[in-house]
Amino acid sequence: MSAITARSLHKSYGTITAMDGIDLDVRSGHIFGFLGPNGAGKSTTIKILTTLIPPTSGTVEVLGINAVKHPLEIRKRIGVVLQQPSYEPNLSVEKSLEKYGMMWDIDRKIRKERSEELIDVFDLNEIRKRKNEDLSIGQRRRVQVAREFMHEMDLLFLDEPTVGLDPTARRKLLDYLKSKVKTGLTIFYTTHVLTEAEYLCDEIAVINKGKILAVDSPNNLKNTFGQEKTITIHLLERHDGLSGLLSGISDCIIDFNTGTNITIQSSKSEAVLSQILQILIENNISVEDLSAMPTTLEDIFLKMVKDSNAPNN
Amino acid sequence: MHPTIRLIVRNLTISINPGFLVWQVIFPVIYIFVAGFAYTALIKSVPFGNITLDYPAFIASGMIGFNIMNSTLVSGIIIWNDRRHGMFEQILVGPFTRTNYILSNVYTIGIVGIISAALITAIGFPLFFTSVQFNALTIPFLIFASITGSILFGSIASIISTRLRSSEGFNVIINTVFLFFAFVSTAFYPASGAPQPLATAFYLNPLTYLVDIIRAGIFGTFTEFVMIEMIVLVSIAVALFIVAIRLLTKLDL
Repeated sequence: MSAITARSLHKSYGTITAMDGIDLDVRSGHIFGFLGPNGAGKSTTIKILTTLIPPTSGTVEVLGINAVKHPLEIRKRIGVVLQQPSYEPNLSVEKSLEKYGMMWDIDRKIRKERSEELIDVFDLNEIRKRKNEDLSIGQRRRVQVAREFMHEMDLLFLDEPTVGLDPTARRKLLDYLKSKVKTGLTIFYTTHVLTEAEYLCDEIAVINKGKILAVDSPNNLKNTFGQEKTITIHLLERHDGLSGLLSGISDCIIDFNTGTNITIQSSKSEAVLSQILQILIENNISVEDLSAMPTTLEDIFLKMVKDSNAPNN
Repeated sequence: MHPTIRLIVRNLTISINPGFLVWQVIFPVIYIFVAGFAYTALIKSVPFGNITLDYPAFIASGMIGFNIMNSTLVSGIIIWNDRRHGMFEQILVGPFTRTNYILSNVYTIGIVGIISAALITAIGFPLFFTSVQFNALTIPFLIFASITGSILFGSIASIISTRLRSSEGFNVIINTVFLFFAFVSTAFYPASGAPQPLATAFYLNPLTYLVDIIRAGIFGTFTEFVMIEMIVLVSIAVALFIVAIRLLTKLDL
C-alpha cells in the first residue's frame, strides 16, 4: 500500500517553476529518502505533501486521502519536522514536550510517560529544565525531533533532521527511526548527508530543478548508475613514469596523480586492476597500498546532479 | 478538547510569564498609586460628564482601558514569535486549521483583556469606590469595553506582527504606536483644559473612546455622546478585525 501517491505535481511561483511534473510513490512502512541540492524543490514538495501549500496542478494523495480536498484529515495522521527550527523560546525542554503533547490532545498521563521516554531516548535529561532559547542549535534540533514523537502518526516527514547533531546523536536518531519503522511508521526523509540516506533509506529519489531524476533502492541506484570504481595506488617511492605505463590500459582514466598517489576511474575495474598489478610487478614498482572502492551514493548523486545541470538538460 | 481551546491553552502558557505579569500589574499600580497621588497636588479634581472626580479615581479608571490595550500586545507578540520561531508553520502542519489559529488568538486577547480589566478594577477600586455609581449597566459596559477594546487593539497588534519580521522593527513600531495611543488619550488626563489641537487628537484615538466608556460604566455617566463613542469603537474594531483576519489568512508559508 502507498503512503504517498503523487502524479504530475507542478508548483510555480510566478515565472519560477519549483516542481515540474513530479510523480511519487512511497510505500507504507518504509523509509523514503528525498535527495537534491539546495533549491531543487525538496522543501516545496514537503510543503505540498504536508498540505501547507496546494500544488499548482497535479494530484496528491497522502495515506489515501486527497491532500487538496481534505488537508486536515491528513495533518491529524502525520508528523512533520520542518527544515527550519520551530520552538517556544520561553518554555523548558520538558515543558515543550508536554505542551506539544497537549496540542495534539494526548492524555496527560500518556504525555508524562512519553516525554520521560523521549527525554531518555534523545539524551535530553541534562537540559530538561533549560529553556529552548538557551539551547545550542543541535540541542534545539533534538528537542524538535523528539517532540514529534509525542503523538501517534502513520507518516513522518523529516526535513534534514540531523542538521547540527553530533555523530553520536545522529546515529542514535537514525537507529531510533529504524526501530519506529519496524512498528509500521512510514518516513519521508530529506538530507544532504548521503551516507545517512544510504544507511537509513529503503528507497531514494533524487530531485533537481523540480524534476525527479531517479527513484530506486540505494543498491540499485549504485548498480545502475555506479558501474565505475575508484582505484587508488599509493607508491612507496615516487615514480613519474607510471602514469605513462597505465595510459596504455583501456578504460583506465587517471583522475589524480601526485607521483606517489594515483587515483583511477574505471568501469571494468577487475580487468584494469589485474593489468595494473602486472605493470607494477614487471617494472618492480613497490606499492604501499592498492585498493578498488565501489562508487558511493554521493558520487552517484553528484554525477546525476551535474548531468542534469548540463546545458543540454 | 477542541483544537481552538488547545491553542488557547498553549497561547496562555507561552504568554503568561513573570515579565508579562510585572508589566500587567506593577506598571499600572505605579501609575495609579504613585502618579495618581503625586499629581493630586497639581490636578485637584477632574470634571467628567455631570460629576467631578478626584485625580486618583480618574487615573485608576483610565488605567483599566490602558491595561486592556497593553494586554492585547500579547496577540501581536504571539503571532510575531510564532513566525520568527517557526511555530506558525509547525502549528499549521499539525491538527489545526488557520481558523483555529486565528480564533485562538482572538479568544486569548479577549481572556487576557477581561482578566486585565478585572485586575485593575480590583486594584483601583479603593480609589474610585467613593465615586462609583453601580447600576445594571456597569458590568455590561465593562465587559463590552474589555471585549471591544481587546479586539480593536489586538487587531492592530496582529496587523503589525504580520507585516514585520525583524525584532527591532516590530518592537520600535509596536512601542511607538502604543505609546501614541497611551499618551494622546484621556487615559491619564482629561481632554478639557488641553490645547485644542491636542484635545482633537485625543478624539482621533480609540483608547479615548474606550476609557470614556469604562468611566461611564463605573461612574454612571451614560450620555448620548458615550453611545456614539460605543458605536465608533465597535465600527473601528470590526474594520480592523477584518483587516487582521485577512492578513493572517494570507500570511505566507
